[in-house]
Amino acid sequence: MEKEAILELRNIRKVFDKNVALDSVSFSLYPGEIHGLLGGNGAGKTTLMNVLYGLYRRDDGEINFHGQKLNIQGPRDAITHGIGMVHQHFLQIGNYTVLENIVLGTDVSHPVTMKLSAEAQKIVDLGNRFRLPVDPNAVVDTLPVGTRQKVEILKALYRGVEVLILDEPTTNLTPQEVDDLFESLRVIVNEGLSIVFITHKLREVLHVCDRITVLREGRNITSLTRAEASEEIFVRAMVGDQMEIEGSVYFSHGSMANTAADESAIPALEMHDVGLKTKEGISRLAGLNFQIRQGELFGVAGVAGNGQRELAECVTGVVIPTEGKILMKGQDVTGVSVCELLKDWISYIPEDRLHDGFLPKANVAQNLILGYHRQKPYCEGSIIKWDTVYDKVRGYIGEYKIKTNGPEDPGGNLSGGNIQRVMIARAFSMNSHLMVAHNPTRGLDIPSMDFVYNKMLERKETGASTLLISEDLDELLLICDRIAVLYRGQIVGILDRKDFDKYAIGRLMSGIQAEETADLRAAS
Amino acid sequence: MDSLVTFLRLTLLSMVPFVLAAQGTMLGGRTGVFNVAQEGIMLVGASLGFIGSYLAGGSTLVGIAAAVLVGGIFGLALAYFTTTLKMNQFVIGLSLLFIGTGLSTLIPKLVIGVTLSQPLIPTLQDLPIPLLSQIPFLGTVLFSHNILVYFAIVLSIGLWYFLFRTQLGLELRSVGENPNAADSLGINTSKHRYVTAILGGMLIGLAGAYLPMVYTGTFTEGMVKGRGWLTIALTFFAGWSPLPVLYGSLFFAGIEVASYRFQAGGIAIPYQYLLMVPYLATILVMMFTFRKTRVPGFLGNNYDREKRSL
Repeated sequence: MEKEAILELRNIRKVFDKNVALDSVSFSLYPGEIHGLLGGNGAGKTTLMNVLYGLYRRDDGEINFHGQKLNIQGPRDAITHGIGMVHQHFLQIGNYTVLENIVLGTDVSHPVTMKLSAEAQKIVDLGNRFRLPVDPNAVVDTLPVGTRQKVEILKALYRGVEVLILDEPTTNLTPQEVDDLFESLRVIVNEGLSIVFITHKLREVLHVCDRITVLREGRNITSLTRAEASEEIFVRAMVGDQMEIEGSVYFSHGSMANTAADESAIPALEMHDVGLKTKEGISRLAGLNFQIRQGELFGVAGVAGNGQRELAECVTGVVIPTEGKILMKGQDVTGVSVCELLKDWISYIPEDRLHDGFLPKANVAQNLILGYHRQKPYCEGSIIKWDTVYDKVRGYIGEYKIKTNGPEDPGGNLSGGNIQRVMIARAFSMNSHLMVAHNPTRGLDIPSMDFVYNKMLERKETGASTLLISEDLDELLLICDRIAVLYRGQIVGILDRKDFDKYAIGRLMSGIQAEETADLRAAS
Repeated sequence: MDSLVTFLRLTLLSMVPFVLAAQGTMLGGRTGVFNVAQEGIMLVGASLGFIGSYLAGGSTLVGIAAAVLVGGIFGLALAYFTTTLKMNQFVIGLSLLFIGTGLSTLIPKLVIGVTLSQPLIPTLQDLPIPLLSQIPFLGTVLFSHNILVYFAIVLSIGLWYFLFRTQLGLELRSVGENPNAADSLGINTSKHRYVTAILGGMLIGLAGAYLPMVYTGTFTEGMVKGRGWLTIALTFFAGWSPLPVLYGSLFFAGIEVASYRFQAGGIAIPYQYLLMVPYLATILVMMFTFRKTRVPGFLGNNYDREKRSL
């Protein structure tokens, strides 16, 4: 090897309480490379980089930078040595300007008057150089996610980092924004910097990275250059032996057949001009018109915060729309409470599992029947039959692979991924005409995601419908029959499976050319 | 005309405890430390301010120093329990409130004992500003006050400049908005929280000392009379910003002065109703302004770097 690694992590170990997050993990980075750190959820990718960045204290192992041992106590040390990190959840002060966010924590030229024109100019220059244009005086809260990410990268570049760590940088970006990002990353490494690119998306890694390290369950699995390895090797490394790759939906490249939904039957869900306004009169949803057929898997794409949550809550009866009508199988259910809807009609996997779906102090069994606890077979009259409940629940724990000490264990003891499994088990365990699933696979590892996809596809066989609202466009493209795109509370386009095009959807998601696309459709 | 001059003059005079205590509260809140012990810290500040001055033979300076010191200790305690030990801010704040209230009556009994006539300290002298105080109307209203009135105004403007026009202010506010972000940029969040909580406590202690040193010349039990509580409301509706805190304090002081004047004026309303006026005003003001104001994003929370969020 002609190149010397500039950064080496050796045998890093990190334990949270009793949970071993990293078990003797090693990692090396060469100058001028984009190094993919690949793995499913809970593999330890982010933890490893947080250790490097000084946010987590390591329990064992060493860090070598330019051949010298580093003792990083906190982010300040990491920054001083030229290591910068862009976190998945941006660490920004929402009500500060771009400029203020970027200079925060650095020495400015005029600390007691804060005349920052020199700093602003530097940011504009950096932006031009690395193709990351931003307006320094814009307030961060008002910016779209793609721009906020540019701010976050500029924050690191402004500090003159040599090593840039990006944690799941493509989450919530449209495909166009992802391409722009990759282009910028190329410019950055061409200037001699090195990049660590954390992701769980294999296709991205193969697209942009020079070298790839795979982690699984807190251990190193393999480190290879892109040229050395095929996709299959990485797939196997990511998921281990526990999963049948050939039969999986996740790795099927979306080539599954589009089983035609029954178009003659009464639609499972009809939305007629549904709109939602807040008390202050701000419109959250407007003029929603669509139908979900029986046996259809209907996807909703969009950048987070464009009305997805409101849509899910309107359909499930959590909030009552201020305009329009909602019909299920021809019956008007506008204004019918969640409690009633859960009985016959719907099942719901809410987006914010901790806030809307889970009781940490209640035990696993109670959480698994929550919402259905008034119904048979769990309940007779108004008495809950705990024997039946525990019987059933033991079955769910096995089937849905929920890692717990037992049904009596408090829900709060479960990890994030396992809480999500509880959400999924609960929604799939009862029959429903329509399932509303909002980001159902968030926090799940690949085998579990695959399991969920299979379950959703099984629903189609029985004629049950699913409304899948997801921020993961790949997921929607993989399994949906149709995809609607939500932008600022309106549906700006609905595509059939045969018309699925990542970039067309991306354009709709970012609101550009919404009118043009509509024109095109009208013309064709 | 005369009564208007007197009213405005008294309003400025009565504004001081509100300004000092609310700026102290605001300062801590800007790094996320939400102090709810104002009533207790003001009482203990009043008590020790009085005793300090009394024991030093009427020295105002010693009194002020004692009040500021004890306020700082309460601020330090709040910072330690919440920032270092990560205990709930409201529980600790309420505990400090009761400790302060208790100490405020205990210490005078231990140090001075029970006396037949109320011991007195000299009250603060007015310091008319040369020339400016000669201006008709304004001279009397604005420029012939005791030193703490001037201090309260200068402090408010100084805090505004510091928080919103300096690098350190920018860093300090970032801790109260998003400590994760501040920490990831190498800003010492704990240090900022300690410093503001202590300085905030000092200002609140000083606010308490103002009462015996300007109004009564002596300490009486419970003499803060809810001003500490009003401070919390005031800070909220001032949006945790120094200049609106100053205006809000003027408003509350105005109501306080007006309600006393009504009492003295012998108007046939039971005085209990008049005493309620400041609190009713609070509710009314909150109804109209509170929805529009914002609070620091991390107010009342404790930051733990290694805490994993699900």
